Amino acid sequence: MNFDFNLVAGYLPAIGWAALTTIGLWIVALAASIVIGLAIAVARLHGGLLVEAALRLVVEAIRGTPFLIQLFLLYFGGPFVGLTMERLPAGLLALSVFGGCYMSEVFRTGIRAVPRGHIEAAECVGLDRWQILRRILLPEMMVLVLPAGTNIAVGLIKETAVLSVIGVPELTAVISGIGSETYAFVEALTLLSLCYWALVEICARLGRLAEQRLSLYRFAA
Amino acid sequence: MRARLILALAAGLSLGVAAAKADVLSDAKKAGELKIGTETEFAPFDYIDAGDHAGLNVDLFAEVGKELGLKITWVALPWDGVLPGLEASKFDMVAGPAIITKARLERYVFSTPIAEATVALLKKKGDNSVQKPEDIAGKTVGGGRASSQLAQLKTFAATLSPAPTVREYGGSNEAMADLAAGRVVGISQSLPNAAFAAKRRPDTFEVVMPPFGSKVYFGYIMRKDANSATLVEAINGAIGKMKADGRMAALQKKWFGVEFDTPAAVTDPAL
Amino acid sequence: MSWKLFTLLVQAAGATALFSAVAVAAGIVLGLLVSGAVLSHAKPLSAAARLYVSFFRGVPLLVQLLLVYHLLPVLGLNVSSATAAIIALTLCTAAYQAENLRGAFLSVPRGLIEAAEMVGMTPWQRFVRIEAPIALRLAIPALLNEAVAILHASALISVVGVIELTKTARDLAASTLEPLPLYATAGLIYLVMNTVLVQGGRFAERRYKVRAA
Repeated sequence: MNFDFNLVAGYLPAIGWAALTTIGLWIVALAASIVIGLAIAVARLHGGLLVEAALRLVVEAIRGTPFLIQLFLLYFGGPFVGLTMERLPAGLLALSVFGGCYMSEVFRTGIRAVPRGHIEAAECVGLDRWQILRRILLPEMMVLVLPAGTNIAVGLIKETAVLSVIGVPELTAVISGIGSETYAFVEALTLLSLCYWALVEICARLGRLAEQRLSLYRFAA
Repeated sequence: MRARLILALAAGLSLGVAAAKADVLSDAKKAGELKIGTETEFAPFDYIDAGDHAGLNVDLFAEVGKELGLKITWVALPWDGVLPGLEASKFDMVAGPAIITKARLERYVFSTPIAEATVALLKKKGDNSVQKPEDIAGKTVGGGRASSQLAQLKTFAATLSPAPTVREYGGSNEAMADLAAGRVVGISQSLPNAAFAAKRRPDTFEVVMPPFGSKVYFGYIMRKDANSATLVEAINGAIGKMKADGRMAALQKKWFGVEFDTPAAVTDPAL
Repeated sequence: MSWKLFTLLVQAAGATALFSAVAVAAGIVLGLLVSGAVLSHAKPLSAAARLYVSFFRGVPLLVQLLLVYHLLPVLGLNVSSATAAIIALTLCTAAYQAENLRGAFLSVPRGLIEAAEMVGMTPWQRFVRIEAPIALRLAIPALLNEAVAILHASALISVVGVIELTKTARDLAASTLEPLPLYATAGLIYLVMNTVLVQGGRFAERRYKVRAA
């Protein structure tokens, strides 16, 4: 067996598109996860007992089952309840809900960790709920939320690989497909590993950078 | 103590490498089992029927196993991992079966062909927008990754205008689920498989005639090296016997409803 | 959904549980060793260990499974589907466990280590008798999270040919063309296993909690 990377190099445009798909999926899913996570966290803390119970059920279910099962339920089970989605949107939705539930737990911890005194002071000064969220909670939470949040972000990069199972043309699907076509399966897998490793390392570095910058906002906790 | 450990490890590894170079058939006879790799999503050849591994492959290799005195052990992988698995000696041969093509003949050895494999389109029952293969122009169709059926579909799609979008699936099950859900208007399948799907779910699937592919055959794949030579002989011998005494015809009747006339060997495939 | 299909799913869940359990156990052992290597004073060992952790936390498990299955034969090691799955799961989780344990190791009270040095223990003895047991107990919550992650990750091992719960649900969905009840049931079975694991972990946490020295 000989390692012939030239073979795989000829497919660079296809690989490039696949990488863009993976990164695109990741960024959109991450943004959506943050929004969904924050919404769930706030709703659970302020929404009343019924909302808390319902959301808790959803979050526990999503965090307690494999992502693949959730994806299959949405993509293959969806048409049976009238929800037929194409695979890219389905993958994106599944990733976002998955990430959102994990993010919501991180945000809940973060919100609870902000000292009650700060919130009371803000209320005294006359800020309303939304202003408190935006100006007090979020900045002070960032420092606590960032490490765990980065972990989830990195996890999402890797979960995009699972989308290959329903045929989304992301890195894993495309590169392993090229590997089968050219009978250079092992070379392709090696290349695939290196691609993800690079992506994850970059993301982790960015996360650490953000942590350093935001440590300015660290309150005495 | 550490030196001994390293020596033992080296000896073990070298044994592993050495064993891989021995004759495949005699290794199988020593172990008492023949390992066959396949994708269990290829009805009626190889599929899971409510938990049981069923299909023509299972029946045929049960006979072959009896003939060779070997137990059959199945390894089920997604199709794009099966041929790499064969090359990595994860198993002794591949069922599938796979379409005999020129490109594959350069790399592998095929058994004597067991069925016709001409590729046609499977569509959703009652979909009148697709009456003949050319009607897929401008629409979305699909096929299984690393399959010849997909390759033929892509070639056919390139001749149409406007060109249809071709999707790749991990396996036939996924492709058929999408067809049933209406995400694609057609998937490429060999005639026996398409006909079986239409027979099994007459309310969901329908075959689009005529087939758009050239006349090709299905065979089982083995490695093209000296170690597999005796295995190839043995397998061809066993299947040849089944063809001669009518057992093959009976199996074809059972699973396809028709008998196929297959040549003894395919040396010059149409593709 | 028929009773027969349900029993098939439950049987497959047994395989899932088995593979997960073996991977968790092996992963903790390997994780301890890797963590020790990362924190050791031998530069090459520490660097190698950190590279290992970086790689196995940076590549998706799906790709790792395929790598172990298809790359090892090239290096002369031909393993079965089950072995490949266990190896990949173990290697992957050990990297995460190593990170979890690293923090725990750094939290082992300095006084205990000094006392052990004083008594004359070798570094290996210190590791096995003092540091590892304490680090393990400190890291129980994180180890539990990782165990849950492995349970979920086991859903992917069918890509190297192992029949477990998710693959079984997929096959049954294909033959019955009823994906919804099958995947929903599979999901519920995972939830049950998940709950059992989490409750067991909480129990272990309470029982083995390290009280302040």
